[in-house]
Amino acid sequence: MIRFFTPTRLLIILAASAVGGGAETSISKLLQERLASVVAVEFSIEHEMDRTVNFAYGIVIDDQGTVILERGAISDRATPEQLTDFKVYRPGAPVTEYSSAEYIGQDGYSTWHFIRIDVAGRIGLQPISRFVTGDSPLIPEMAEEIWGIGLRKKDEEFAPYFLSSRVSFLQDMPQATGVALGSVAGRGLPVFNMEGEFVGMGASGFGESMIVYSQSRRGELSVFINPDECAAFRLASEVLMATERIPTNQYGRPLPWFGIDGIDPVDPEVAEFLGLGSGTGLVVSEILAESPAESGGLLARDIIVAIDGVPLPRMKPDRVVTAYMQRELLRRLPGTSFSLTVLRGKQELELPITLVDAPKTPAEAERHYFEDVGLTVREMVYTDAVDRRANPTELSGVIAHFVKPSSPVGTAGLQQDDWIKEIDGGVVAEFADAMALIEAVEASGRPEVVLLISRGGKTSVLRVKLKT
Amino acid sequence: MTRLLLILTFAFWCPLTAQAEMPPGFRDLMDAVVRIDVREFAYEAGAKRFRSGVGSGAIVSEDGLVLTNAHVVGRRAVEINVTLANLERVSAKLVGWDHWTDLALLRIDQEELKEKGFKFTVAKFGDSGALYPGQTVFAVGTPHGLTRTVTRGIISNPRRYFADSRGVRGYETGQFNTWLQTDAAINPGNSGGPLVTENGEIVGINSRGYLGADNLGFAIPAATAREVMEALADDGEISRSYIGIVPGALQDLESFYDLELNNGMLINSVDPGSPADEAGLRGGDILLAIDGERVDGRFPEQLPPIQHRIATSRIGTSMDLMVKRGSSTENYSVTTEALVSRVGEEAVFESWGLSVREVSRAYARENQLPDDEGVLVIGVQRGFPAAVAGLNSGDVITKINDVPVNSLAIVGSAVDAFDADPQSALIEARRQFRVSLYILKP
Repeated sequence: MIRFFTPTRLLIILAASAVGGGAETSISKLLQERLASVVAVEFSIEHEMDRTVNFAYGIVIDDQGTVILERGAISDRATPEQLTDFKVYRPGAPVTEYSSAEYIGQDGYSTWHFIRIDVAGRIGLQPISRFVTGDSPLIPEMAEEIWGIGLRKKDEEFAPYFLSSRVSFLQDMPQATGVALGSVAGRGLPVFNMEGEFVGMGASGFGESMIVYSQSRRGELSVFINPDECAAFRLASEVLMATERIPTNQYGRPLPWFGIDGIDPVDPEVAEFLGLGSGTGLVVSEILAESPAESGGLLARDIIVAIDGVPLPRMKPDRVVTAYMQRELLRRLPGTSFSLTVLRGKQELELPITLVDAPKTPAEAERHYFEDVGLTVREMVYTDAVDRRANPTELSGVIAHFVKPSSPVGTAGLQQDDWIKEIDGGVVAEFADAMALIEAVEASGRPEVVLLISRGGKTSVLRVKLKT
Repeated sequence: MTRLLLILTFAFWCPLTAQAEMPPGFRDLMDAVVRIDVREFAYEAGAKRFRSGVGSGAIVSEDGLVLTNAHVVGRRAVEINVTLANLERVSAKLVGWDHWTDLALLRIDQEELKEKGFKFTVAKFGDSGALYPGQTVFAVGTPHGLTRTVTRGIISNPRRYFADSRGVRGYETGQFNTWLQTDAAINPGNSGGPLVTENGEIVGINSRGYLGADNLGFAIPAATAREVMEALADDGEISRSYIGIVPGALQDLESFYDLELNNGMLINSVDPGSPADEAGLRGGDILLAIDGERVDGRFPEQLPPIQHRIATSRIGTSMDLMVKRGSSTENYSVTTEALVSRVGEEAVFESWGLSVREVSRAYARENQLPDDEGVLVIGVQRGFPAAVAGLNSGDVITKINDVPVNSLAIVGSAVDAFDADPQSALIEARRQFRVSLYILKP
C-alpha cells in the first residue's frame, strides 16, 4: 500500500502550499486531538486446526473503554468463544505497548460489535461524543468538505493519516449514510467536518464499478473495493446510539424474533398496481412454525404495508426496505406488541403481533471437535431446520460444523453443513446422543463407523474408515 | 508425375483388397447406416429460434425405422433429414423418444422413398451380452459431419456403470442400463451410430465419450436398444414405474449391516413424498428382495438391473419389498407410480418473450418445493415484457392475475388475453423459496 504518489496525496500537498499554513495547521491539531477516540484492535479467531489473527479499527464511545467495530470486522461465522486475545493499540504508539480488551458482543439492531478495553488501557481515551457540541450530531450537507482519519498497518505502528473529501450524497440504507467523492476515512474510523465536529464513521462494503481494459481483459466490468478506506460513512447519529445498545451478553440477547422467512420488496410498478400510494410493501414468502408471525395470523404471501400504522417507506434501491423492516423489528424488545398491516388479496388486515425471544442461534449451539475423526458436531437449532426445509419444531440430528480435510470423515465424503442423522446405526435425536455415539466409537477402537447424513434433501450412507 | 502414378496405382488396388476382405454382413450394415441432420427449436431465448445438429443412426426395420440417440433427435425437432448409403437425402419423422436410455426412433418417409426408388438394408443386432473385453468392434457414423466414417477399436469394458442425472440435455439418463465402453474413436456426430462386430452386427448404439480423454467412448448395449426400440415403435414412448428409492452399492458395508455377501441393496435415499417414502422406507434401509426375488447390489454395476426390474413393473402395481433396518426385517408394500423426468413440457410465449417448462413432480422433489404447481421460467428475451418485469430463468411462476398457474395452458390463456387486450398483469413467482411480485406491462 504505497500511497505517497497517489493523486489524492499530491492534490492535498498542492492545496496546502497554495493556501498557506494557517487552516491546515488547525485541521492537523484537530486531528491530533481526535486520535484519542481511535484505536486499532488485534484479535484471534480460534479454529479447529489453526488460529487466524485479525485486525480492525474502532471508535471509543464512552468513558468505560467501550469501543465499537463495524459488522464486517468480525466474521459472521465466528462464535464469541472463538474470539480471543483482544489487543488494543493507540495510533502511532510503539506496538510493544498495548492493552487488552474483552469481547462484549454484537448488537443485532446497529450491527456493531462491542469490545471493552481494560482499566489501565483507558487512560487518555476520549469518547467520540466529546466531538459533538450540539444536542444532536450535525448532518453534513451535500458538497460540504469533510475529513477523516486513516490508520496504517501494524508494521507502521498504526500511524494515523489524513483523508479528506466532499459529501456527494446522503441516503438512508436504511442506516443514515453519507457517500463522499473519494476515500474519507479508514474502515470503522471517524469522519469530521471542517470545524472538527464528529459527523460519521467509515463504512466498508461499498464498491465502485469500473470497466477494466488490459491486454488480456477487454472491457470487463469489475467492482473495485478499497479494503482499507471508505468513501461511504454512517452518520454520527448511527454511531452515538451505540451507547444505548451495549450488549449485556456476548450473544446479543434479548434477541427479538418475529418468524418470517424470505421477505421481498415490491417494485414501484407493483406498489402502484396494489394501490400503495407513496408507500411500498414486502411480500412474505414463509411463516415459520410456532413463531409470533404464525400466532399473529400472518400467512405466506401476505404483503406487509405498515408497522404500528406507519407505512413502509419507499426506499432507494427497493431492497433497502427489507433491512428497514428488519431494523424495525430488531429495535423492539422481546415481549413488545405492535400491529402489522398486511394486504391479503384485496383485503387489508391489522394483525396484532407480540415479539418473543429468538430460538437458540447457531452461535449459541453446543459444539465439540473430535480431532481424531476430524469433525466438529454442532447442535441442530431452529434455523438449521428452516435452512434444510425440515420441521423446526421437531429437531433431531446434528450439524457437521467443521470437516477436517483428509480426515477420516473428510475422506468418506462428509461435507461442512451436512446434517448427520444417524451414527453407527444409532439415531441422533439430540446433541448428547452424537457425543455419546462418537465417544463410544472412539473408545471401541473399531476400524470403521457408518453415518447416515442428509444433504440437499437427500440422504446418503457414508462409511468412515477410522485411523488404526 | 511419379506421385500421380503412385496414387493411381493405389486407387486402383485399394478397392479390390477392401472388397475382398469386407464380410457381407459388414457391407449390409454399411448400407443401413445413415447420417441424420436435425433442425430443432431452441426455446431458451424466450423466442422460437432454431438450431441444427448432425448425428448418426441405423435403419432397423423394413419399414424404415431408424434408431439413434435421444440427444440427437428430441421432441423439439422440427425437421429431420436422413442421408442414406447412396448419399441421397430423405426426410423422416420422430416416432418415439426415451432420454432414460438416450434412444430415439425415427421413421423415414415411406412415400418419398418409394417415389425416389431408394433402397437400403436393415441392420442386424448382435448379442451385447456376449461381448468380451478386447473384442474388436467398429463405430460407424458421422463424426464432425464426416459422413460414413468407420473407426475401429475394442470393447474396453462390456459393463460400465455410470448414471448421469443431466446427461441428455438436462434430462436424466443411464439409471436403467450399464454401458459398453470402447476405444473406437467416437467424436461429436458419431452419436446414434452403431457399434458393430466384424460381421456387421449391432452390439451397441454409440452415445458419448469423455472430452479431452483418449478414446473413452460409451455405447448403449444392443439388448437395451432392442427393448426400447420395440416399445417406442409400439407406443411412441416408454412408461416406467417409479417408487422413489436412490440405490447405493453395499460393498464394504456388509459387516456393518450384518449381511452375507451378495445379498441386498443399500437404499441411500428416499425421495420425499414418493411411494417408498409413504410406505415408510428411509435412507439407510437395506432392500433384500422384491416380490420375494432376492436382490444383489454389492457393486455399482449391479444397480441398473435392479432399477430396471422396478421400472419394468406395471405402473400402479403393488410391490412387496423385504427391507432390513437395524436388526429387524420387515415387508413393505409399495404401489408404484409413473416415472417422470425433472424436465417437464415446454412452451414459448413470444409476445412476452418468455420460455417456460412445467414443474414436474421430479423437479419439485429435487428442489424441495412444497408442490409441483407453477411453471419454471427457462428463458426470457431481453427487452420483452417478461424480462422488463424482472422475471428470470429459474423463477417459478405460481400465479398470474390471481389465477393459480398449474399448466402451460393457463399461461397460454393469460398471454392470449394480454395480446387481445393489453393490460398490466400481476405475476407471482418464486425464486428459490422467495415469493416475488412482478408487473408485466404492455
